[in-house]
Amino acid sequence: MGRPRDPWGRWLAWTTAVALLAAPAGCGRRARDVEVAPGGIRIIGSTTVLPLAERWRAEYNREHPEVAIAVSGGGSGTGIKALISRTAEIAMSSRDIHEDEVARAREAGVDPAEHLVAYDGMAVIVHPTNPLEQISVEMLSDIYTGRVTEWDQVGVPGLGRIQAVSRDAASGTYEAFKELVVQLAETDRSRDYSPAVLKQASNAAIVALVGQTRAAIGYVGLGYLDDSVKALRVAPMGGQEAVSPTMENVMAGRYPLARELHFYTDAAPSRQVREFIDWVRGEQGQRIVEELGFVPVR
Amino acid sequence: MRRGLGLAWEWLVERVIQIAGLLAIVFVVAIFAFLLRDALPVLRERSMAELLAGEVWSPTADPARLGMLPLLLGSLYVTVGALVIAMPLGIACATYIAEVASPRAREVLKPLVEMLAAIPSVVFGFLGLMLVGPWLAELLRLPIGMFAALGSLMLAFMAMPTIVSVSEDALRAVPRALRENSLALGATRWQTIARVVLPAGRSGVIAAVLLGLGRTIGETMTVLMVTGNAAVIPEGLAGFWRPVRTMTATIASEMGETAYRTPHYHALFFIGLVLFVITFIINTIAEWAIRKTGRLSS
Repeated sequence: MGRPRDPWGRWLAWTTAVALLAAPAGCGRRARDVEVAPGGIRIIGSTTVLPLAERWRAEYNREHPEVAIAVSGGGSGTGIKALISRTAEIAMSSRDIHEDEVARAREAGVDPAEHLVAYDGMAVIVHPTNPLEQISVEMLSDIYTGRVTEWDQVGVPGLGRIQAVSRDAASGTYEAFKELVVQLAETDRSRDYSPAVLKQASNAAIVALVGQTRAAIGYVGLGYLDDSVKALRVAPMGGQEAVSPTMENVMAGRYPLARELHFYTDAAPSRQVREFIDWVRGEQGQRIVEELGFVPVR
Repeated sequence: MRRGLGLAWEWLVERVIQIAGLLAIVFVVAIFAFLLRDALPVLRERSMAELLAGEVWSPTADPARLGMLPLLLGSLYVTVGALVIAMPLGIACATYIAEVASPRAREVLKPLVEMLAAIPSVVFGFLGLMLVGPWLAELLRLPIGMFAALGSLMLAFMAMPTIVSVSEDALRAVPRALRENSLALGATRWQTIARVVLPAGRSGVIAAVLLGLGRTIGETMTVLMVTGNAAVIPEGLAGFWRPVRTMTATIASEMGETAYRTPHYHALFFIGLVLFVITFIINTIAEWAIRKTGRLSS
């Protein structure tokens, strides 16, 4: 005869088909909150704050080894998302939380509270052999919006096309640079990064790239400066004198590319989290801030 | 009694295998459905033409520019470049292993080539970023050590194991009789390989290349690290030596920052959908080609 009958197989196939058709009914539901491990602290977010957070964790655990702290990067945006979906107790951020993020957080039952943990400067870097010593915010904006494309236009002959390097869109550094530089201290919000700008995933990647590329220019957090790149003095808007990217200048408010680094938590965090943040903002935490090249809050 | 138990066991095993097989289909359909659900809303805000043929990808602009053409071309350049490198190398390698190498050599070579497949993509990215890229940039006087051809090169290494493995199987599957007949008619070994074996195994080799292509087009980490991520439209052959941005890298770097359910969010899913469809088509053609090879071995 023909094929032997396989009633179970047919039943299974039909059930699967029906299940597939019914699947869209389940689509409406959103992921529920994950239970937070009691007492543990998950810190997620800005790669600018990341080295600070890792040192804080190491030092804090020396005195308080019973508190489990896990630190990871991903960018300020990623950290805030994690706070909203409760996969993190603390979101590290190198930018301010947006209004729509606050709204979404409240919808999800999280009331975001801001804690200032350090100040940071953003240094503009070029290859060590680049003869340029200083640059203005206006020129930087023209470079990053694609209005200025050749090093000749900046007054540096022989380097050809400017390779402008930036962080990618998940980064708080990207946003802060956008507001302070690209949008000319938020005076021209129509300006945006040119699509030709090379987007890299971390401060370290930018340092590596600029250190290897003669025609490159980039920006990184102060804490990432080292001998493989050259930091430029930056002239604030309006033709003022160029200022070096040093801690003193950031603290004195002279350096134009300075921003606040935050921890965002729920307005009513656990005792563990509150104690940790107090420690971070206290003397020991702030000593680490200075050590790593950032600017302390006091 | 024993016989009954044996039959019941067999029935059970058959059901489990059947469920596993059907589950695979369920997963693929479910993924497609979820992609559709989150991708289609973008069509309410932008036309298909604007998405697929728009020349500017600048999602943070206001209004968001969501033209995928630079990304499509970026992926295309990197993939085509990878195939140009991997195809001749891979097929030659497969031919050598299948036809020319001694059994001893084969035993060593085959695992070695397959070991290439075991290397994580991020390692290739790292090697490209830190070693190969700067070296090539120095050698070829390129402005920056991140460009499409670098992505192609690293991806070629990743596609090779697939191409070699499947091609080699296809060539082995060519019936001995064909080879023996050719040699008996007075052809040299090389003539046999080039004029008889390779044409006979043609469909399998094509399938191998298509599978390698599928792997290449979906690769994310490596291209994210080495292609520069500048969403510009590559121009002619020179475009291989300039930074580009692939579809996969776009999703990876921007997903972290998009707000839920904005046009940008949906556009990223749309890119995912396009990738899914392309890979699906490639794999289907590859499957069909493999089946054609089977018919030859009768």
